[in-house]
Amino acid sequence: MSILEVKNLTHTYDGNTPFMHDAVKNVSFSISKGEVIGIIGHTGSGKSTLVQHLNGLLKATEGEILLDGVNIWENKKNIRAIRSRVGLVFQYPEYQLFEDTVYRDIAFGPKNMGLSDDEIANRIYEVCDLVGIKRDYLDKSPFDLSGGEKRRVAIAGVMAMQPEIIIFDEPVAGLDPQGRANVIKMINDYSKRYNATVLIISHNMEDMALIADKLLVMNKGELAIFDTTENVFRQHERLIRMGLNVPIVTQVMLSLKQKGIDVPDNIFTVDQAVDYLLSLKQGGNRNA
Amino acid sequence: MLKDITFGQYFESKSFVHKLDPRTKLLLLLIIIILIFISKNWLSLLLVALLIFSSMIFSKIPIKMYLKNLKAVLPILIFTMIINLFYAGSTTATPKWSQNLFWNLTITDISLSRAVFMASRILLLIIVSAELTYTTTPNDLTDAIENLLSPLRFIGLKNAVHTLAMMMTIALRFIPTLIEETQKIMNAQKARGADLENGKLIERIKALIPILIPLLISSVRRAYELAEAMECRCYNGGEGRIRMKQLKYNFDDFFTFLIVFIVGATIIAINIIL
Ligand SMILES: Nc1ncnc2c1ncn2[C@@H]1O[C@H](COP(=O)(O)OP(=O)(O)OP(=O)(O)O)[C@@H](O)[C@H]1O
Ligand SMILES: [Mg+2]
Repeated sequence: MSILEVKNLTHTYDGNTPFMHDAVKNVSFSISKGEVIGIIGHTGSGKSTLVQHLNGLLKATEGEILLDGVNIWENKKNIRAIRSRVGLVFQYPEYQLFEDTVYRDIAFGPKNMGLSDDEIANRIYEVCDLVGIKRDYLDKSPFDLSGGEKRRVAIAGVMAMQPEIIIFDEPVAGLDPQGRANVIKMINDYSKRYNATVLIISHNMEDMALIADKLLVMNKGELAIFDTTENVFRQHERLIRMGLNVPIVTQVMLSLKQKGIDVPDNIFTVDQAVDYLLSLKQGGNRNA
Repeated sequence: MLKDITFGQYFESKSFVHKLDPRTKLLLLLIIIILIFISKNWLSLLLVALLIFSSMIFSKIPIKMYLKNLKAVLPILIFTMIINLFYAGSTTATPKWSQNLFWNLTITDISLSRAVFMASRILLLIIVSAELTYTTTPNDLTDAIENLLSPLRFIGLKNAVHTLAMMMTIALRFIPTLIEETQKIMNAQKARGADLENGKLIERIKALIPILIPLLISSVRRAYELAEAMECRCYNGGEGRIRMKQLKYNFDDFFTFLIVFIVGATIIAINIIL
């Protein structure tokens, strides 16, 4: 049973003017509960435009979005309820912080849902444990935190709404490797804890290999490929033609293969590569 | 929504009006505005209107663009007309025709003609000002202002003029950026369940806080970044700076000035005679 279904979605910016163009063209796909979907695509391929339709921030020029089989625009008054079920974390979410304490900023979303103060407090402590915000940070001003910490607070602000589907637009942009790993772990923990469906836009193929079950490849506004991560990364030539690439380990494996060394082409993470090389070594020992 | 406003936008073209020196356009705009205000009768206003309409044709900007603005000022226009319709004024002439509506509100042929006259003035003002921004890039405009105000250096205000012009250039440059930023922040807070459309006045004002604070912070951040970037490129005020594009008057400018002066002189003459 698919939780989210996108049917023939088309979005035209600046309709009826000389600047008009289709940012998303006739895109259809469906996602099952608990899946982690990576969205990749060249700059300007319509990724951000696509995801802003899923919680009703943008209205489709054509086509529809079904959440649990119901069109999200069926009842216009319900669109805010939809937004608490489908969370969206924008690129550089730390620029949206505005409250005087971390606690109150995280509380903004839950408060808008009309939850009681006790429930809000429970959710805030829960999300802080989940994403690793220390309790004594809650009374600090969000503007006194470091960039990576601000990002964590901003993401916690959306997670505290406990959406069934949560979407991240380039959540690791501008972070150092440590910060990146932290954010990826937060996302993973959230989806495990709440059995949530996750969509992540990223330009980082290594992260995608680590976290995504399936990849959705956008190319010039159209849906090019929607398949398991493994099947997508196997089509490296097609990806390169679309201005994309496969993870670096996979590139290494591919060039080894070109040199005539027999290695598998389904190695996408460093861990997989290590496992494979170790098994090779053990196998070699056994043979010797 | 925010993007529907065409006033203040520039439309690329290579028309006669586009190619005029920005100083010419700015000065002539001032002169035409004065002409609109000193026109006391229909004949002189008609002359100004003719001048403005012919410049519109020479600007090669679709009439539709000018008309779009009028929608925005329609309330002001209607308001002015209504006020003028019922305002008896201080004329000594007796009306040839009058109609009592209700209470003691009376429309006369004089007040009707005055209401239309006032509305036409406002229309002309808006059209001619819009034409300047349609045909002149913001940068050219600030260059023109800086150039026209440059005599102020003789009273020790040279730096002030340059600073003012630079501030205007930067402000104009950042309007689209700020609009885009506002839209982004609004979307982000909406995604967190913010309700910007409903509620009472107080609630709506309160709902603006999550948008205004991030906007303010990012503007300050942008300002610092821009200042640093300018200093890195050795900007240190107007002293000793020269322009890549020098402003130069040519024959077209003199020709245009001449036409406007002739029309202006005619209007003054009409005003004196009539
Ligand atoms: N508000 C807007 N108005 C008009 N056109 C827009 C707007 N936002 C995006 N576009 C255009 O729509 C197209 C898709 O943009 P979008 O932001 O969805 O791309 P993206 O895949 O998210 O790119 P990136 O990886 O750079 O974030 C682009 O051509 C862009 O110029
Ligand atoms: Mg994007």
